[in-house]
Amino acid sequence: MIAITFLIPIAVGIALVFLILFLAAVRAGQFDDLDDPAERILHDD
Amino acid sequence: MERSGAERRERQEASCPHCGIAVEGPEDAFCCRGCEMAWAIIRGAGLERYYEERTELPPRPEPLRERWDSVEAERRSDGTCEVRLAVDGLRCASCVWVTENVLERTEGIEDATVSYATGRATIRWDPERIGLGEVAGRIASLGYRPRLLGNEARPDRTLLTRLGVAAFAAANVMMFSAAIYAGWLGSMETAYVELFRWASLALATPVAVYSASPFFEGAWTGLRHRVLHMDVPIAIAIGVLYVQGLAGTLAGFDTYLDSLTMLVTLLLAGRVLESGGRRRAAEAAVTLAATVPATARRIVGDTLEVVASESLLPGDRIAVGAGEDLPADGVVVSGRGALQRALLTGESAPVTIEEGDEVWAGTVLLDGAVTVEVSVAVEGTVIQQMAEQLRQAADRGTKPSSTDRIAPWFTAATLVIAAVTFAVWLPVAGSARALTTTIAVLIVACPCALALSKPLTAAAGLGAAARRGLLFRSADALLETADIDTIALDKTGTVTEGAVEIVAASDRDLRVAAGLERYSRHPIAVAIVREAIARGVPLPAAEGVREEAGSGIEGHVDGTFWRLRSGGSDVVVLEGPEGYRGLIRIGDRIREDSLAAVAALQALGQRVVLLSGDDADPTRRIADAIRAAEAWPAQTPAEKAKRIEGWREAGHSVLFAGDGMNDGPALAAADVGVAMGTGAASSILTADAVLGVGSIAPIAAGVRVSRVCRGAIRANQVRSVVYNVVAVSAAAAGMVNPLVAAVLMPLSSAMVLAGAARVERRVRARERS
Repeated sequence: MIAITFLIPIAVGIALVFLILFLAAVRAGQFDDLDDPAERILHDD
Repeated sequence: MERSGAERRERQEASCPHCGIAVEGPEDAFCCRGCEMAWAIIRGAGLERYYEERTELPPRPEPLRERWDSVEAERRSDGTCEVRLAVDGLRCASCVWVTENVLERTEGIEDATVSYATGRATIRWDPERIGLGEVAGRIASLGYRPRLLGNEARPDRTLLTRLGVAAFAAANVMMFSAAIYAGWLGSMETAYVELFRWASLALATPVAVYSASPFFEGAWTGLRHRVLHMDVPIAIAIGVLYVQGLAGTLAGFDTYLDSLTMLVTLLLAGRVLESGGRRRAAEAAVTLAATVPATARRIVGDTLEVVASESLLPGDRIAVGAGEDLPADGVVVSGRGALQRALLTGESAPVTIEEGDEVWAGTVLLDGAVTVEVSVAVEGTVIQQMAEQLRQAADRGTKPSSTDRIAPWFTAATLVIAAVTFAVWLPVAGSARALTTTIAVLIVACPCALALSKPLTAAAGLGAAARRGLLFRSADALLETADIDTIALDKTGTVTEGAVEIVAASDRDLRVAAGLERYSRHPIAVAIVREAIARGVPLPAAEGVREEAGSGIEGHVDGTFWRLRSGGSDVVVLEGPEGYRGLIRIGDRIREDSLAAVAALQALGQRVVLLSGDDADPTRRIADAIRAAEAWPAQTPAEKAKRIEGWREAGHSVLFAGDGMNDGPALAAADVGVAMGTGAASSILTADAVLGVGSIAPIAAGVRVSRVCRGAIRANQVRSVVYNVVAVSAAAAGMVNPLVAAVLMPLSSAMVLAGAARVERRVRARERS
């Protein structure tokens, strides 16, 4: 059972990495416009 | 475009290189100067590829009427300005490509992105080198129409951050809690249980302190204003949950921290959805109202001097030329011309003005030239008074929603039950047990489902209404529409097309008339040319064209002399050789689907009334044509508003749909004001909802969606009250522990979510029946 003491920080740490990735995406404006990028690919340069 | 008739085939035909409209003349003849300029700009920027790649023909360029240079743009730290505009007329990907590239190659523009999906352009420019007026003019010269956006809510990144933190914590805390609950079955060492509790507390703390802060702030603001709204019981529940969790972790008893994180996550998810729906509706674009021009030409002795419009005094004489906006209210002392008063009256047909006629600031002199004696200073002009009325109207508050109305009862009932629970348990089981039971009551009583009900349902409803062409600005406006029993409609531009249309004319007359009117900006001229284009009649070349202010136009077509003159309010006479007289009938056409739209509204039990600024005869005629129950002609903007207020006082709930700046007061006076998306900026700004298409048909759909949403929210309210009665009773009886709470609470929220997801399906079911 002692393994739990290591596993909890590891599990939280992994989740934290994803949280940081999500927050970085939010900060970079990835969620500001959810409709347009899908259309953008249709016209070149 | 189909062309027929041997006569026409014999003439040399070409199509305009820019807009593709059929034109008579040499191969490279342009249909108008606008197209010639657009073509030159595109060639000049080295973007000829556009003409090979485009899949749709562009609209014909029209000069910009609005004054853009006074627009305040966002200044960035590097000294450049940025603005987001709506661009109308983007018909294909090549339109986007050419606009973006022409802008980017314009001196002074740093960066330009144009979006096809949303029809938005984001432009960054150096204000030292180019003005916004020029930027907008550049877009317009390509044939697209730039419009300023209304108050556009920027996507709220903080809310997403809060949600991210809460969801991250919820997922982890749930795992720890699952371990603790599993430990109940076997025997888990206390040390590990404590470890899980501490880990949960560590993760729940940022949720309670950071993620949940909007609820605490909301509750505090409410309490300060002595309003008990929905945030109050939520804040109480979250606060109690966290304090209990803190105490439980320190003293070693079971906590509800998993429920805390889950609740905050769900509530924030609801807010994110709601803000998404609201943003979409708020993005309705507005056209800048043509305001009073900044300068005027004052006549001093024998010369003219340019002065600021504000400095004009009663008695001053000013010169106004063709195509200019009037800078002040006054009386014509000499000259004649055609005046368009659309901004003030909503009627687009121009009137002829002569000596002695009154004119107003904000109207446009379409042709001719006049000298005007100013009658009032700028502050006293009709347009300024109207703007003031609009400002006052925009300040009115919103009604509390039904959810907010039951919040005080909810809070009071919860607190009373909690107190009773404590009082009953105290003598029976001692203070510790009484306290845990009371805390359980406070926690399960959290009106989470109730709080989610409105945002989730409204988000679904706003989307459903938007897909049907009606963009509501707020959830409240959407829900209020369910109560509407009277629909008041403006005539011109709402029930009718609003622009002068050709009702009847022969192809032959139309061809000659279009040739003469090809370059004119007069609304009748524009209508004639548009009709010729629509019928596929090629525009002939005209020579020696002379336009006479307020009376007509003449010139040579095919070597013959023709004269086109007004023959009354609804007919234009074409006079040709050997006494030839052709009649072109003009009028304001009723929108094709107006009759069906009114019938649909009446089927929903609505009383449909026509309110018009126009005379009795045309108003009566239109009212009969659409089968409106009542018609009120010759209504001034203030009278329209007063009539609506009268109906409201008589107990009716009124929806008003209109399009002009003159409809602003009526839009504000109505319970729900609906503006035409194609109408004046001021009307869109005061409205609760905007029609995305040029049609009033979506109003019926809006009423239907609103009723469905109202029903769904009622059902959710009933469900969550039932849930609360059951859950609170169980908690008061001491039957709720953290595991029961963790299952029960999200379950009630899921119920609400399911209800919101059914909105679209229910609306469709109603449409079929």
